[in-house]
Amino acid sequence: MGKESGRGAKGTVHMVKSLVAIGVAAAMLLGLAVFEWFFVEEEFSAFREELISLYDKTDGGTANAEDARVVQGKWEDRKERLHIWIPHNDIARIDEYMAETVRLIGEEEYTLALPKLEVLIHLSECLPGTYKPAAENIF
Amino acid sequence: MTLVIIRTAIVFITLLVIMRLMGKRQIGEMQPFELVITLLIAELACIPMADTSIPLLYGIISVVTIYILHEIVTLLDLKIKPLKSFISGKPSLVMNKNGIDDYQLKRNNLDVSDLIESLRTAGYFSLDCIDYALYESNGTFSALPKENYEKMQSSLPIVIIDNGTYDEKNLTLTGLGREFFDGILREHGVKKVKRVLVLTADGEGKMYLQQKGERCETFYVKYPDGMTW
Repeated sequence: MGKESGRGAKGTVHMVKSLVAIGVAAAMLLGLAVFEWFFVEEEFSAFREELISLYDKTDGGTANAEDARVVQGKWEDRKERLHIWIPHNDIARIDEYMAETVRLIGEEEYTLALPKLEVLIHLSECLPGTYKPAAENIF
Repeated sequence: MTLVIIRTAIVFITLLVIMRLMGKRQIGEMQPFELVITLLIAELACIPMADTSIPLLYGIISVVTIYILHEIVTLLDLKIKPLKSFISGKPSLVMNKNGIDDYQLKRNNLDVSDLIESLRTAGYFSLDCIDYALYESNGTFSALPKENYEKMQSSLPIVIIDNGTYDEKNLTLTGLGREFFDGILREHGVKKVKRVLVLTADGEGKMYLQQKGERCETFYVKYPDGMTW
């Protein structure tokens, strides 16, 4: 009798341990997911604003190599943080367009730089959405 | 990351359902969900490790998700009976004192030769030495043998008719023709070979005969010229 109640208590303790482990792991995942959601959105939102500002300058013909390098430098800092959270291929795509934009602005090829900037703005708008739990992203 | 969690859960549930639908044969001494976890966890850990374009965090997140799913499934398996049979399946009684249960065999995608082979692996060579045989949910066989069953399997029985068809290879091994066994079947009221679920014969003349949907019977015959094997 005593042994049986002892076993029952052990079973309950084990179940509670399992429930606690599930709760902790689920809370950790949920916390990370929410953080990722806001963090990625925030980073890309700030990057988009910088790109729009560079786009306006380029469109007005007043942008120079230094302006483009500042945006690129900020992106470099940002991508170090983003590497943990998003696929590296997405970062590489932005890297390529960014490098081309910097060169074209440096050569004052504004008409060629504008489409590259448009692609970058588009990427910064749509990429955060591709990590969100929507049916088209899941399947 | 949320995507990774959802996708991991979807793949886990899909694999679990498919494993259950495929039956116990695919499992091999694990519960279905344990096999699913074994299948998934190696890939989940390996792909982000080898593919540098995927953040390592994705691998860690999917492994943690699998851990949570494992814990949830284990709890459900232990605490909720109807779910236990859905998640892990339940044992099937494939043989009883009346003989082989053909319906249960078919339900588990097995035939008589699979049953005989599995019973041999479990140490039972003769069908008549078993009272009950169970096909466990983890894909293994358990049997309750008759008392003194070891004395009942002094010679190796071979399958002569398996599900209404003569096993030509075994027929050659016995050195006896179809006519001999047709005669025995007639003596035992079997009109057509197709009606026979199983007929085994051992070297000492012991036969195990079961017609489809009927009780099994064990009897002895004398082989021509006192032959044996």
